[in-house]
Amino acid sequence: MRTIRGLLMAALCAATPAGLAAQQAEVRTRLEARGLPADLVQSVTEVAAAADAQGLPAVAIVDKAIEGWAKRVPAPRVVAAVRQYAARLGEGRDAVGAAGLARPPEAVVIAAAEALGRGIGAEQVGQIVRAAGEPAALAPGLVVAAALAAQGLGGERAVGVVVEAMRAGRPVDELLDLPSVAREMQLRGMNAAEIGRRMMRGGGPGATRPGGAAGGAGPRPPGMPGGLPGQGTKQPGGRRPPGGA
Amino acid sequence: MRPHDEFGPDAHRYLDGEPHGELRPDDQVRADRLAAALRAYCARLPVPGAEVDDAVMAAVRVRSPERRAPGWRWLVEPRVVRIRPVWVPVLAAAAAVVFWLGPRAWTPGAPERPPIAAAARDTVYVRFELVAAGARTVAVAGSFNDWRPEALPLARREGGAWSITVPLPIGEHEYQFVLDGERWVPDPTAQAHADDGFGGTNSVIVVGPKGVVRS
Repeated sequence: MRTIRGLLMAALCAATPAGLAAQQAEVRTRLEARGLPADLVQSVTEVAAAADAQGLPAVAIVDKAIEGWAKRVPAPRVVAAVRQYAARLGEGRDAVGAAGLARPPEAVVIAAAEALGRGIGAEQVGQIVRAAGEPAALAPGLVVAAALAAQGLGGERAVGVVVEAMRAGRPVDELLDLPSVAREMQLRGMNAAEIGRRMMRGGGPGATRPGGAAGGAGPRPPGMPGGLPGQGTKQPGGRRPPGGA
Repeated sequence: MRPHDEFGPDAHRYLDGEPHGELRPDDQVRADRLAAALRAYCARLPVPGAEVDDAVMAAVRVRSPERRAPGWRWLVEPRVVRIRPVWVPVLAAAAAVVFWLGPRAWTPGAPERPPIAAAARDTVYVRFELVAAGARTVAVAGSFNDWRPEALPLARREGGAWSITVPLPIGEHEYQFVLDGERWVPDPTAQAHADDGFGGTNSVIVVGPKGVVRS
């Protein structure tokens, strides 16, 4: 009994600081492995640790630093961008929290931050949070809204399309197909307003994508290069026969 | 049927299930013939009956003989553990610490972001193409490969075009092309573009279960 008691107390005393130190060590290791100089590693580690202490996804901050360094951005600009990104992650978390999700998963915080960075407002992020019928749809919904906004639909229209799709009960797979649907409409010469109208009316994947909701490859859209990108899907656990299933 | 060694690399890619349209006509004919022969062979294979299931389950249910070491026996044999009630909240607090630390532990060693799409199940082949006649090398780097400019080099095609087909998880990806190992340029055919926070522009694609449409 005495042994168990001692082990328990030792574990309680050591768990928290040891865990944080291990996390910081892993951040350093990853940054150093990518060749970041020591002072930049130190700065990014501090930003990541501060973000983690606030419950923000530190891994996204490390990713951003690696992206900047890979692009040969000078270290001071990497630090500035990473700090800015951390602040946006905080805004994303707050926007989601204001809509009623107190402890959002990391993926949701990252997606909300991306959406804010692409011109979608905090209130509109909240609309998506409230419209998401299932938690698993939230991050994809935010991602799709951000992508549609970046495609030129504008934040309000993009959020409207996603909210409408969520309220119609579209599954996550169909949500993730919406940017391709919008792209197809763009390639057909439709403007943003027309695309928004059609997609709000339910002109989703099944209505516009070649092959329909269950299909894969179909007729090649105008302007598509040979070998339609991405239309071959690899099923987990096995290879798809060349001629299709 | 000709030995598989006579197929070119494109034919092997075809047989691996990658997108069509890249084979030479003679390779296409041979690959189609081989695929048809394989399907016909598979169709002739006997379907195992219920007796196979029964035999497997019977073998599984046979218990192994008892060969337990004394330490193992001490661990698994039921016994009464006496504990003072005062320790119950302490143990509960310890368990809470473990559960609290577990989900918060980020994995900076992981090469990619946490998956955006929680429902993601598939990997989808996405073809990247760029026309860069003057380039000596072209690669694609993005959130899917930890922004490593050397990891995914494109193959040179005719007419100054470069291409590569990459399996990507369903979800959103940001990327750029890297020319000659140093010049980062966005993909003109991407679905969208976004500020990368460093004064540049990332290309954005959202890969759905049916693939991704660019231009």
